Amino acid sequence: MSAPDRSSPLLARFNELALIVAIVIVVAITAALDSNHSYLTQPLTSFRDIARNVALLGIFAVGSAVVIIAGGIDLSSGSVIAFSGTVCATTMLILSPQPTTDVGNVGAVVATCGVAAALLSGFLVGTLHAWLITAVRLPPFIATLATLVGLRSFARALCGYITARKVHGSGNTEINVYADYFTFVREHVWIYGTVCLALAALTWLLLSRTVLGRHIYALGGNEQAARLSGIRTDSVKWFAYCFSAMTAAIAGIFYVADQSVASPVTQGVGYELNAIAAAVVGGCSLQGGIGTLPGIILGVIFLRVVIDSVAKLIKSGSDIYEGMIVGIVVVIAVTFSQLRQNRGSSQQLFPGLLGSIAIPTLASLIGLIVAMTIANVPYLKGSDAWIGLGVAIAVFLLLGAVKVSQLANAK
Amino acid sequence: MTANGHPIISISSVTKRFPGVTALADVALEVRAGELHAICGENGAGKSTLMKILSGVITDYEGELLLAGRAVRFKGTRDAEAAGISIIHQELNLVEQLSAAANIFLGREIRGWLMLRDDRAMEHAASRLLKELECDIHPWQIAATLRIGDQQLIEIAKALSLQSDILIMDEPTSALTEAEVSRLYRVIERLRKRGVTILYISHKMDEIFHLADRITVLRDGRLVKTLDRAGTTPNEVTHLMVGREIESIDFGGERRAGEVLLRVEHLSLPWPGHARGWRLKDVSFELRRGEVLGIAGLMGAGRTELLECLFGAAAEPPQGRIELLGRSVAFRHPREARAAGIGLVTEDRKRLGLFAAMNVGENISICTLRETGAGGFINRTREWQMAAETVQRLAVKTSGLAAPITSLSGGNQQKCIIGRWLQTDPQVLLLDDPTRGVDVGAKAELYRLIDGLVKRGIGVIMTSSELPELLTVCDRILVLSEGRLTASFSRAEATEHKIMEAATLGVKKAG
Repeated sequence: MSAPDRSSPLLARFNELALIVAIVIVVAITAALDSNHSYLTQPLTSFRDIARNVALLGIFAVGSAVVIIAGGIDLSSGSVIAFSGTVCATTMLILSPQPTTDVGNVGAVVATCGVAAALLSGFLVGTLHAWLITAVRLPPFIATLATLVGLRSFARALCGYITARKVHGSGNTEINVYADYFTFVREHVWIYGTVCLALAALTWLLLSRTVLGRHIYALGGNEQAARLSGIRTDSVKWFAYCFSAMTAAIAGIFYVADQSVASPVTQGVGYELNAIAAAVVGGCSLQGGIGTLPGIILGVIFLRVVIDSVAKLIKSGSDIYEGMIVGIVVVIAVTFSQLRQNRGSSQQLFPGLLGSIAIPTLASLIGLIVAMTIANVPYLKGSDAWIGLGVAIAVFLLLGAVKVSQLANAK
Repeated sequence: MTANGHPIISISSVTKRFPGVTALADVALEVRAGELHAICGENGAGKSTLMKILSGVITDYEGELLLAGRAVRFKGTRDAEAAGISIIHQELNLVEQLSAAANIFLGREIRGWLMLRDDRAMEHAASRLLKELECDIHPWQIAATLRIGDQQLIEIAKALSLQSDILIMDEPTSALTEAEVSRLYRVIERLRKRGVTILYISHKMDEIFHLADRITVLRDGRLVKTLDRAGTTPNEVTHLMVGREIESIDFGGERRAGEVLLRVEHLSLPWPGHARGWRLKDVSFELRRGEVLGIAGLMGAGRTELLECLFGAAAEPPQGRIELLGRSVAFRHPREARAAGIGLVTEDRKRLGLFAAMNVGENISICTLRETGAGGFINRTREWQMAAETVQRLAVKTSGLAAPITSLSGGNQQKCIIGRWLQTDPQVLLLDDPTRGVDVGAKAELYRLIDGLVKRGIGVIMTSSELPELLTVCDRILVLSEGRLTASFSRAEATEHKIMEAATLGVKKAG
């Protein structure tokens, strides 16, 4: 009973090791199969690219993960990113003297005000969530779904209103930001990385070394027992949702810097699911009470590496495939973790009629994805439909064999 | 005996290993058709594991299972049900939002015209089954609104509707009042007349000797002995279970009640939207340093609610006056009660007490994290030291502080939760049915633990659904009936009969 090492049960460690191995494998495959070999020829650019994306996702994924560990869910991150970015830009616009709808070169004071306003907006959104959940007693899913839909629309209205007021004309749907400080950030990826690392370190300290962190695990594990142990569960929830919204706000500021624009229509759309996926892939349980910071960060890296890998291999816009990748990765990751937990149980993967219909569904889905993918590969162009069909048939036979063998085993 | 002369259940060399523990080692057991076979043993003896294998919950084990001479291997609970085995778990398995009838026919709904669900047919069938069980609840009634005793009868009705010829009952009386227990006995009698074979898990000697034909004792995953009821005594069985003699304990001798710790005057707890209007009405009493105050009462009498009021955990703010050490207090949150020196060990360990995802050490330290370090940080070395001291002091059996809390037996889990509160150095400790689901040996240990606490100057208020327990441990016993205080007995005055009379006083008046 000497070594106080316990927040790391074997299972979590296993998950983290598996993720590291998976990341290495994906990088190796990409390096080998990419026809441009960009990992080998331009290692620095590739690394910078991935690091930027990992940092951007990591910043608000830790926030989402803290809410998940506390037994809740925050669906609003993507909209909070757009909203806080808009708040940042409009604040600077209001404070800058020129009568334009772009944020030109503003001083340090104005830039600081913009950043502070964005962070404050995050705090307020988090507070609103906590109030809806603890005082009005809405389920977290509903409360944050409402702000997911509402805040983006609100940010668009705000953007139009402020820009219209500024030039006494019609409003804009986005605000360009050319401020020096923001351009500086865009040109220095180490700032993204540093902020993400600092936030990760802070979250690690919070989760594994502080009383509040332990209370977050307790709340997520058993809310009733937590309350009866004298934990102020409402305050812990308030903290968790504020933390999540404020990390999203920080990410919002970075997205404005990264794209030189605050665009409530396009920024951060669907990002909340990437954050939740990273947390789940990293070993957080959606039931709450389980999850570690190293796991979360590895989940973020894995997700971004896979997305980058697919973009490199297919050489089309990675954003087209991003949703598919996130969906597939989440299903596979959770399936594996469940298989590991119920090892030895003889549960069938394709039971009955449900399984019989799932097999051709999966086969045609995979066949279609393959066909669409290789349509972009120069020397295979033209035969994509046939190859897709072949793959579909192969997958169909393979999964069919799994079903048959499981049936035979069961008998 | 069945027609072909085989025992209805025959288990041979069954072994089940969990990571780190062997729950069952080479167990062989034969159950005769139509008998009531009691399985007893301390917590962790392997009773539940054995029953889970029989009922198809655990499917990967070594060894052989024969039903009426035929080798079977269940792949799930459905297989077991099809083979005629039903189990009534200690923690009931009802869908609380559904009606009694819907629960009875869950998964086997009766269908009628166009394959649509035939609710009326199910209702009739359910009504017939419930009547047979002396249960006067309506089939439409939602399961969550029923008392635990009635919920249990729904499970039994479900087993009857399955035409099971083997029924496993896992500590069925652990949450029942005396009246419900005698009703259960009558139901069991009726089941036996139908020829149902019953496996009855319990560690209550009076029950076992009242009901069983044969008794099998398990200890540490091994089968110690199977005995005929007629040829044995409770003492022998207890001895075999524990593996040592339990001295009969008499507490209270050297206890000396001191100053008044807690004074409660005219405490009432409103119950909005209920016909009675009050969960508690005009309750007054005091608790002195160094005494154990027992709260008796039927389920629903307000025992838990009373403790929750004292702990600041009640659903509504209570009315009346609570004084702690002469100071008037009104806790709005358990945190304030904790800071003032009150601890509550909750009734339902799994739902209200344990953090299943945390380990033993973290479960013990949860209330005293701030005391380990400064500035909101946890000093993990100090945390571990304190928890280790608690584990040692309460003699918790665990493979270490890092072991998952769920790997401990019920009695040891309970010790961890008591230890959690002892670390807060409380003046008053509230124990809500602390020995529920805890076996004989561990009970005696808990009694001794409580005795030790009051001798060191803590005041204890304790509820229990078992009267003999209150009579053993408590210096004074208060009786609640439908939220009112109907009697108060000193240790010398109290008898089971007097307490039961007071506990049913209000009920009779109301009826």
